[in-house]
Amino acid sequence: MRFAPSAKLAAVALTAALALTACGGSGSSTSASSGGAVDGAGKTLNVLTGVNNQYPEEQKKWQSDIAAKFKEKTGAEVKFETFASANDELTRIQTSVVSGQGPDVYSLGTTFTPTAYATKAFVTLSDDDWKKVGGKDRFNPAALGISGPDSEHQAGIPFVSRPFVMAYNKDLLAAAGIEKPATTWDELAEQAKKMTNAGAGTYGLATGYKDNFDPWKFIWAMSVQAGNPLVDGDKLKMDDPTVKKAYETYFGWLTKDKVVDPAAIGWSNSNAVAAFASGKAGYLMMTTSSSIPTLDKSAVAGKYAYSIMPTTAPGESSPKGDGDKAASILSGDNVVVADYSQQKDLAFAYIELITSKDEQLNYQKIFGELPANAEALASLTDPKLQPIADAAGKSKATPFTGAWGDIQLGLLNVTVQSIPDLAKGSVDESALESRLKDAQSKGQASLDRAAKS
Amino acid sequence: MSTDSFREMKPVSGPAAHGQLARSGPPEPALDAGASPTTGTGALQPAGGGRKPVRRKGLSERNRPLWMLIPGGVLMFVIIVVPLFLGIYMSALNLDQYSLRKWVSAPFIGVENFVEALTNSPLLHSVWLSVSYSLIAMLVTLPLGIAAAVATQNAFKGRALVRSIFLIPYVLPSFVVATVWRTMFQPDGVVNSALNVFGIDGGLWLNGPQTYWTLILVQIWASWPFIYLLALSGLQSVDHEVHEASALDGALWWNKLRYVVFPYLKGPLALAFLIGMLHHINNFTLPFVLFGVPAPADVEVLPILTYVTSFQSFRFGLSAAMAFVSLVLIAIPLFIYLRAVKLDDAETPGGKK
Amino acid sequence: MSASTTSVRGTARSGSGGTTFRPGSRRQHEVTRLLPGPMLAIILTVLSAIVLIPVAYIFLASVNSDIGVANGEFWPSTFSLENYTKIWSSVGLAKGLGNSVLVAGATAVVSAAMSVSIAYVLVRYQFRGRLSILRGLLALQSVPGTLMVLPVFVLFSSAASYLGVQVIGTQWGLFITYLTFAMPFSTWVMVTYLRGLPRELEEAARIDGASNLGVLVRIILPLSWPGIVVSGIFAFLLGWNDVLFASVMTRPDSQTAAVALQVFGASQEGGAIPLYGQMMAASLVCAAPVVILYLIFQRYLVGGLTAGGVK
Repeated sequence: MRFAPSAKLAAVALTAALALTACGGSGSSTSASSGGAVDGAGKTLNVLTGVNNQYPEEQKKWQSDIAAKFKEKTGAEVKFETFASANDELTRIQTSVVSGQGPDVYSLGTTFTPTAYATKAFVTLSDDDWKKVGGKDRFNPAALGISGPDSEHQAGIPFVSRPFVMAYNKDLLAAAGIEKPATTWDELAEQAKKMTNAGAGTYGLATGYKDNFDPWKFIWAMSVQAGNPLVDGDKLKMDDPTVKKAYETYFGWLTKDKVVDPAAIGWSNSNAVAAFASGKAGYLMMTTSSSIPTLDKSAVAGKYAYSIMPTTAPGESSPKGDGDKAASILSGDNVVVADYSQQKDLAFAYIELITSKDEQLNYQKIFGELPANAEALASLTDPKLQPIADAAGKSKATPFTGAWGDIQLGLLNVTVQSIPDLAKGSVDESALESRLKDAQSKGQASLDRAAKS
Repeated sequence: MSTDSFREMKPVSGPAAHGQLARSGPPEPALDAGASPTTGTGALQPAGGGRKPVRRKGLSERNRPLWMLIPGGVLMFVIIVVPLFLGIYMSALNLDQYSLRKWVSAPFIGVENFVEALTNSPLLHSVWLSVSYSLIAMLVTLPLGIAAAVATQNAFKGRALVRSIFLIPYVLPSFVVATVWRTMFQPDGVVNSALNVFGIDGGLWLNGPQTYWTLILVQIWASWPFIYLLALSGLQSVDHEVHEASALDGALWWNKLRYVVFPYLKGPLALAFLIGMLHHINNFTLPFVLFGVPAPADVEVLPILTYVTSFQSFRFGLSAAMAFVSLVLIAIPLFIYLRAVKLDDAETPGGKK
Repeated sequence: MSASTTSVRGTARSGSGGTTFRPGSRRQHEVTRLLPGPMLAIILTVLSAIVLIPVAYIFLASVNSDIGVANGEFWPSTFSLENYTKIWSSVGLAKGLGNSVLVAGATAVVSAAMSVSIAYVLVRYQFRGRLSILRGLLALQSVPGTLMVLPVFVLFSSAASYLGVQVIGTQWGLFITYLTFAMPFSTWVMVTYLRGLPRELEEAARIDGASNLGVLVRIILPLSWPGIVVSGIFAFLLGWNDVLFASVMTRPDSQTAAVALQVFGASQEGGAIPLYGQMMAASLVCAAPVVILYLIFQRYLVGGLTAGGVK
């Protein structure tokens, strides 16, 4: 019941007044190295973050723990708000941007950082600001690759890394006489064929064609490995043969190679995890360390391992261009501070807390996410994590342009529109070409607008 | 606000329309009739319950409490009219992620958004989808609603229960309807497993070309009771003498329906048809919850397209232009509707009193 | 439906309340009969099945296991009511329902009150622009919601920056929005209703010296309950069903049930097997208040409908 606005307004006004004085105070008196000096008594910091579908209970607990620690440190409350989907996230950011009010701290997927940066509604960190979050050198340098257009202009503070790898079922590989995981996409398809036994419900690969993100990540990786970075200056190269080849390979697993469960056209990534966890798949594609807690409790516990995904494009014998550095997109979560926030120092203090070594390790333990804190990352000794850390080093940032969101949507849309064809068992070449052409023209238009701004 | 309000207004608009149909014919004639004194000629207006036109005039010229219009008028002006013009203004701005933060100073580009919307966007495709899907859904719901109304016109044991059941799809919130059907239409969901029993492969309902029909099916399920309500109101206005006369003639049931009863339904159904079309065209929740975004191209209806253009692609200016075009699209039928119902005034038997 | 017993009683009452053709008379029945018996039976059965099967499915799926639902079972292989206890924490439904009741309820009451007075003036008095107002009321309804969301949001956020009134994220913002969007239709309903009321009573009251307001409160109001109920219910449904505005204008504390359910549904997309059972249970719980409200007031709705036929 909040139909008593006057009291609340008074509180808001009071808080704002306090915030102003507090900001003035800390700004002048400290060049604090750790932000620990911020006094936030009586204030509330609003943090927007994605809901964790896999571990909702754990997330709630983590949030209340962090809030308690933050209160102890600064005296301020933290209030968490979660968004359920990328769609919600976009809407929240847009409305906050246009209204100049909303959460103080946002947690963003890395690929969304360029779009957020383009709005200029988030703080581009000064040297001083970096000091407040514990110094730039506290972070894994690779993780900073998508924090801003260049090292002088960075808005995204890395929180976790989530490089994409593949998991494989050691027993199934061994049974098929495969000694080590594939390093080229062609080899992967060959191995997958050997492991597929549709009659027994076993398939070589597990991946979800209806996932909202996975499809474009495959296409991006295969294209980059074939020497096409997709965005070349002001030019979008989605009508390139390499992109078409990538889609054909990706769709081909289902239609030609038949190494994927036909039901996968309706799967998201988590359905694929479930299939792999039940021992029904040789490879689980495009997964992250966050699958560890699930897999360790499943039928494949102890029987699986991770490996970096192939870095050699389909039809090639060795990586081209930056290919060998494109085992994964540079992925994870960044946190950004809203430009309109009245309590930026408090926000930085919060970020300092959650990116500290101990908190990062704690987070890794609960959710399986790789730390962005360099020291914490280095202290991980679990051999299972080795390939993942390896992939973190071989991650390549997606192009830093405000148009990336549209391009990504276009890449995804080609798959969305092809799903009925996939269900029928073959994707018509001319239909694919026209979808690509459409995506190319829309994406190019978006790039043009980005260039003008 | 028509996005969602459409379905909501149906359950009540039905009965409301009844009340009024029963009293003084379809709503619009009433509207015009009530207004006619304004046009001045005054005293001997035949319609609109103008039983005492002379005395009414005297009454109306007393101190008129026009102040009662102010609170509602101000609200509607501030919350609907101002934002509407703001939206139209935005359609002339190059408003996107680069200019959103200071939207007031976004570059003014005139009609460029409209040109882009009409020549280089899926807008026309969406218009076609919206109109065709609305029309097909409407053409199916009409006979369903009429059959239901005719069937529940005569008293029988349990009729009250049946009438309540028929209105259920109507009172269920859109988001609930969409959530439920989305679950039923999953690839391995209950619809496909039921079809399998008959040896039919249902295929994909939530992806690909079939989605168009999915949307139509669900829309029909949700909106036929609206037609039912209005048809029922039309039947209520059939005079008892008419029944007796046709019974005396010994008319066959079909002939009786065709020549005696259906003419009474023309007015209410014309109303239902046009309101229904507008509401289908503006329905956002149903396709949004059923298919999510990005929606399959086959169900990228107008509200979804404008939503995606603004909230996914950040093209707020372009989206406003698209929405404005769809507003025009809706305004035209609305205009026809106002005219059409006025015409009905003279012809509808229900309006003769 | 959890309220099925109420439904039977409620409708039975309304059925006997005012049907055009008194059911007792056999002759009446023969005369007004429109369809041959078998056809009647077929139509009723088919249409009831079309409605009831999906409705029954909601309930059956809500007590089924998620796997069962995913595998397309109509009749659950396992029964469990635990989904109904889980949704209160997982969906955050209690807070959502509370907010929805508050916002939609307030919208219903205030919009009914305001629309009665507006309609009264529009029906009983003449002035320049009256017809334009009536037409405008209809036109306002055709404005697409997707066009309005951002401008309304911008307007409210300017209220925060220039007037210092925080509207976004409070129930006030939603309340004002729904109130305004409900008003054109509510007013329209009241206009058509008031037009059907006889003037004699009003005029008598005026002769006794009643003021405009006095006539409205003492004469019009008591006579217009069916119309007021209809326009109030409309406003309530509008507030209850909206997803678009609520999703951008609420914060977790002010979230409505519709948004809570939509967010829960969206977050399930990422899960291994969506929690279908909980989704269906929550759907049913979200629909229940509306259905109950409808059953309670059905007498007015259907009564208004049949009263006209009797005249």
